[in-house]
Amino acid sequence: MAFPKNGFSAVTKIILIAATLLAGACSHTVQVGGEYPAPVGPQHPLTVGIYLSEGFSNFTYTEDAEDRDEWNIDTGRAQKALFETVLGSMFTETVPLSQYPQNLPGDVELVIVPEVRELQFTMPRETRVNIFEVWIKYDMHAYDQQGNSVADWVITAYGKTPTAFLKSREDALAQAINVALRDAGATLYTGFAQVPGLRAILAQKQRSLSMKEADAPTETAAGQD
Amino acid sequence: MFRIVFAFALAVLSGCTTVVIDEYRRSDGELAHGDSVVILGRRHSSEYETEPDLIDCVGNRLNDPERGVKVIPEQQFVDAMYPWFEPRTAPMHLKSLDRLMEIPEVRDRLEAYGVKYIVWIDGSTETTSSAGSIGCSIGTGGAGCFGFGTWDKESDYEASVWDFRDQELSGKMSADAKGTSYMPAIVVPIPLIARVQNNACKGMAAQLQQFLLPGQPVNSKS
Repeated sequence: MAFPKNGFSAVTKIILIAATLLAGACSHTVQVGGEYPAPVGPQHPLTVGIYLSEGFSNFTYTEDAEDRDEWNIDTGRAQKALFETVLGSMFTETVPLSQYPQNLPGDVELVIVPEVRELQFTMPRETRVNIFEVWIKYDMHAYDQQGNSVADWVITAYGKTPTAFLKSREDALAQAINVALRDAGATLYTGFAQVPGLRAILAQKQRSLSMKEADAPTETAAGQD
Repeated sequence: MFRIVFAFALAVLSGCTTVVIDEYRRSDGELAHGDSVVILGRRHSSEYETEPDLIDCVGNRLNDPERGVKVIPEQQFVDAMYPWFEPRTAPMHLKSLDRLMEIPEVRDRLEAYGVKYIVWIDGSTETTSSAGSIGCSIGTGGAGCFGFGTWDKESDYEASVWDFRDQELSGKMSADAKGTSYMPAIVVPIPLIARVQNNACKGMAAQLQQFLLPGQPVNSKS
């Protein structure tokens, strides 16, 4: 068989296209997007800086295990939206930080930095249960104005979704991840004040606010004298 | 004439389903003008998930503002109350709902929605057994399938009706549906599907309607 001098032969082209298609058939890409509601409830009386790193905002989980197809799951945009919304509603004031620890605004009392530790998922074929399941683990860090660590805690989120007729695996997995992200937001909001280091900061802040309120009428009265 | 033939064909071509409805009622429904009903699915079990489409189905059948039943869509309500009705945080008992009401922002929002009843539906539809096989082949002369397949489905749902204002359990009802679907294939597969989940939805919606609008005829939406 004579090969042409320039470029690939027609047979080589067909083989290459077929190989690309076959490789593509075993690779799945999931782009998770979504809007998340703001939590309903009281706000903590703190001015908080939120630092979502590049790695966090563009996080893509890649899995290429021998017994599974290749999966690329992009949760960065969705988790950025979730943390911005939830943390943005949890405190009386929030400051998004584009860098940390440089150029920290003076009024920030606490800086919160989330990191993805782990993401796992299972398919109905693997568990023989008719649902897609996702687990995400976040490492949460809180620092004071001087950059000292105040608290480190872990948020474990779980999401599942039933298989649905005419729905692709990618769509089902994206839906399960969205449920897991909502769960992460719920745990973050409801569990924040239970973290020992943070509970102490909140109690201290409440005390100082109460003292200020108690002092306010006295100052006014003193001003009138 | 065409309608009759179409309806007859549908009846012949669909599998059989039986539905059993049970009810325990502590009080009759009392919906005043402006009151609304929320229908929510329980999602706390790790082994199954109450299907969102079943919740939508019951809600759509029940929603009839002209007769005084205004149903708030599940997703809209869960978003508006975030994060208090998520699978992990949703109140499992009336006492937990009582504790939730201690948060002023949550209480205000629930009152703004005019919520009178919260209906929790728990359960799922599962394929319990299947048998038979169908083989399809394609050749130069054409393509075709031959064989026979059958599968059984079971729906098991329970609805608990909470009276949000009086903080009490107003009633419970359950819908159990079973059905067998068939798929004979002689060149072309002919699915004879038993609409098990849909029939459970219809039964539960009719029962809830009787509870919410006592003494009024059941409005059967298609």
